[in-house]
Amino acid sequence: MNKKFPIWLHAALTAAGLIVTVYMIFLYAPEEMTMGEVQRIFYVHVPAAWVSLMGFLIIFISSIVYLSKRTQFSDELAQATAEVGFIFCTCVLVTGPLWAKPAWGIWWTWDARLTLTFLLWLLYVAYLMLRNYLVNPGRAASLCAVVGIIGFVDVLIDYMAIRWWRTQHPQPVVLGGPESGLDPRMLATLLVSWAVFTLLFFLLLRMRLRLAGMRRELSEIRHVLAFKVSED
Amino acid sequence: MVNKYLFVAYSFVWVVFMLYAWNLSRRQDSLKKELDEVKSKVAESSPTPASGKSGS
Repeated sequence: MNKKFPIWLHAALTAAGLIVTVYMIFLYAPEEMTMGEVQRIFYVHVPAAWVSLMGFLIIFISSIVYLSKRTQFSDELAQATAEVGFIFCTCVLVTGPLWAKPAWGIWWTWDARLTLTFLLWLLYVAYLMLRNYLVNPGRAASLCAVVGIIGFVDVLIDYMAIRWWRTQHPQPVVLGGPESGLDPRMLATLLVSWAVFTLLFFLLLRMRLRLAGMRRELSEIRHVLAFKVSED
Repeated sequence: MVNKYLFVAYSFVWVVFMLYAWNLSRRQDSLKKELDEVKSKVAESSPTPASGKSGS
């Protein structure tokens, strides 16, 4: 993976993608008729939300792998994803109210989608706090894996919330049924932004995983050193 | 004139991503430094010559 798709190429592609996305958001996509310019928050809010949900899916899968096989990489992957996913989820929770205020007249309402997204953010926080506060790394990894598996229920309900219930949050505009739909230029901008946010997510994840690898190497060397000292 | 909500939303997102990427590279640099120090300690403490092995 690293040789086929080196991180510098990944970073360059992401940077180029970000430039294209900014161009499309502000110059290519048409202005929405009722909300006007503020609707352009949509192109960063929706992809960030998608990545936050995908992040927890990765945590869920890695947690299952960790609990069944106890591989260190699956634990490191879950931990790294939690940190990066938390950043994206925070962006969702900040950009949402900034769009809601001019569109709905309120910053926040406790409807199903908003509440479940807030719960997702709390799950990310809980995961990271557990990881940092538990002294025993093995115990922390197991407990976090349990949080990662149970927390995924929230992701499923969050994804379906606007399909199951009438909410203040808009209904899905992509894959939402016959009444949903977007202007083709808006859809193209959303899809490009979606792809670039996914690239950015994986770039940050790779950087975070590299950090975890270095930390592991350091603790292994220290372990060997300590063993040598005790032998002497 | 750019809408203030739009401006704040985009500014927040880009600043957060840049700060996080900067934080990651800073943590990586400090870990690399620590790793190099520990590796040099290991090289110093090993009694036999490395015989061509770099150890990295």
